[in-house]
Amino acid sequence: MQPRTNEDGLHPVFCTIVPPHVLDKLSHSGDARLADPARRTLEADGLRRNRRRLTALAAAPATPTAGAVPVKPHRTLYDCENGTSLPGRQVRDEGQKPTSDASVNRAYAGLGATFELLLSAYGRSSIDGKGLPLIGSVHYGHEYNNAFFDGEQMVFGDGDGEIFLDFTYAIDVIAHELAHGLTQYTANLRYEGQSGALNESVSDVFGSLVKQYSLGQSAEQADWLIGAGLLAPRVSGDALRSMKAPGTAYDDDVLGKDPQPASMEEYVETEEDNGGVHINSGIPNRAFYLLATALGGNAWERAGQIWFDVLTGGELTATADFAEFARLTVAAAGDRFGERGEREAVLKAWSEVGVPTAE
Amino acid sequence: MLIQVTRTGGFAGISRHHEVDTEGREDATEWESLAQEVLAATPDAPPSGVPDGFRYRITVGDRTVYCADPDLTGAQRTLVSRILKEGA
Ligand SMILES: [Zn+2]
Repeated sequence: MQPRTNEDGLHPVFCTIVPPHVLDKLSHSGDARLADPARRTLEADGLRRNRRRLTALAAAPATPTAGAVPVKPHRTLYDCENGTSLPGRQVRDEGQKPTSDASVNRAYAGLGATFELLLSAYGRSSIDGKGLPLIGSVHYGHEYNNAFFDGEQMVFGDGDGEIFLDFTYAIDVIAHELAHGLTQYTANLRYEGQSGALNESVSDVFGSLVKQYSLGQSAEQADWLIGAGLLAPRVSGDALRSMKAPGTAYDDDVLGKDPQPASMEEYVETEEDNGGVHINSGIPNRAFYLLATALGGNAWERAGQIWFDVLTGGELTATADFAEFARLTVAAAGDRFGERGEREAVLKAWSEVGVPTAE
Repeated sequence: MLIQVTRTGGFAGISRHHEVDTEGREDATEWESLAQEVLAATPDAPPSGVPDGFRYRITVGDRTVYCADPDLTGAQRTLVSRILKEGA
C-alpha cells in the first residue's frame, strides 16, 4: 500500500478505498511512515467532505428551508464505555477537535456526511428539516453486535470481533440509522410488514447514497452494498445486504445465507423481525438500484430526489405497502421531471421486481 | 425447567435461538430464580421496540414473555445474554 498525495498536494494520504479499520490500525502503528499518512487520511476525509459541502451549498438553488434554519450540523457524541445507559459520557461536541477514539470520530464524520447530503442535495436541514441536533453514542454494551436508532439518537456497538466489527466502520450504517430519524419525522412508516420493510429500505437507500456522495461515486461506480467492512475477517461474505443483488451479500457457516428476496415472487412471510422488515427490504432496495443505474450519473440526484420527494411529500401513509410507495414514486418522477425518461425508468424498475404500479 | 430465548431483529435481521435445560444442573436454582424474576416483570405482549433494535422472546416452561432493546431491566439483560451465550 503506497501513500499518495492528496488533492491539495499538502501531505501524503492513503487512497480512501483503504477500509477505515485498516487505517485505524495503521494510525496506531509504531511506524511513523505508516501511522502518520493513515491518521491524516482519517482527518482529510472529513476536510474534503466539508469543502465539497461548501461548494455544493454555493451552487444549491434557493429553497424555502435553506437560510431560515441551521445550515450546519450540531453533533454531539457520547461514549457508553461498554455499558448500556444512554447516552453515556459526552466526548465530542460540534466543532471540537477529533478525539483519540476513532469510533467517536467516525460517527461524528458519518453524521456530518448525512447532514450534508440532506442539505446540499435536498435542501433539508437535518432530519426534522429544522436543524435538529444529532446525537450518537458509541461503545454501547459489551461486544454488542448491533446499531440502532432509539427514536432520539443513534447507538453503535463495538461488535464481538468474531462475526461483526465496530458498527461505526461503515458510513452507510451510520447514515442508515440517521435515516430512521428522517423517516420518523416524515412518513413515519410503521415498523412492521411491508411498511416496515419500506422503512428499512429507505434507510438502506439513504445510507448507500451518503456513502456514494462522500466517495464521489456514480451509480455505476458504487458497490451498492450495505455494511461492507462490518463483517469480521473469518466470515464468508462481502456485507450485510446487497441492493444490487439481494440474497448474495453473505453465505457463512455461522451467519447462514443472506435471506433477502430480489423480487415479489420470493417475498418472505414470517413472524420474526416484525414480519421480515430486514428481509423483504431487498425488493424495494433492488428497485432503487435498478432505477439509479438506468438513469446513470449520481444516484442521489434524480433517483434519490424521487425517493426523497415521496418520503417527505405528505402523501405516503404510515401503513403503506410496496405498491402504494411504487405508485407515489411514479407520480413524483412525473411531477419533478415531467415527460422525460425518469417516469418510464421508475415504472420499469418496479416492474422488474414484480411490484404493481397500476391503480 | 426449560428456558428459551429467541432474539430477532437487529440491523442484520439475523435470528438467534438458544435454550438451557436447568434440570440436573448444579446452578439450576440460580437460573430458576433469575427466570422467575424476569417473568414477574416482563409483559406477555411484545413491546413496539425501536428501529434495528433487538427483540427478545423468552419462554420459561409454558409461559412466554417479550422485551426489546434498549429498555431491558438488569435481570432481562442478564438472562438473555447468558442464555444466548451459554445455551445450546
Ligand atoms: Zn434499520
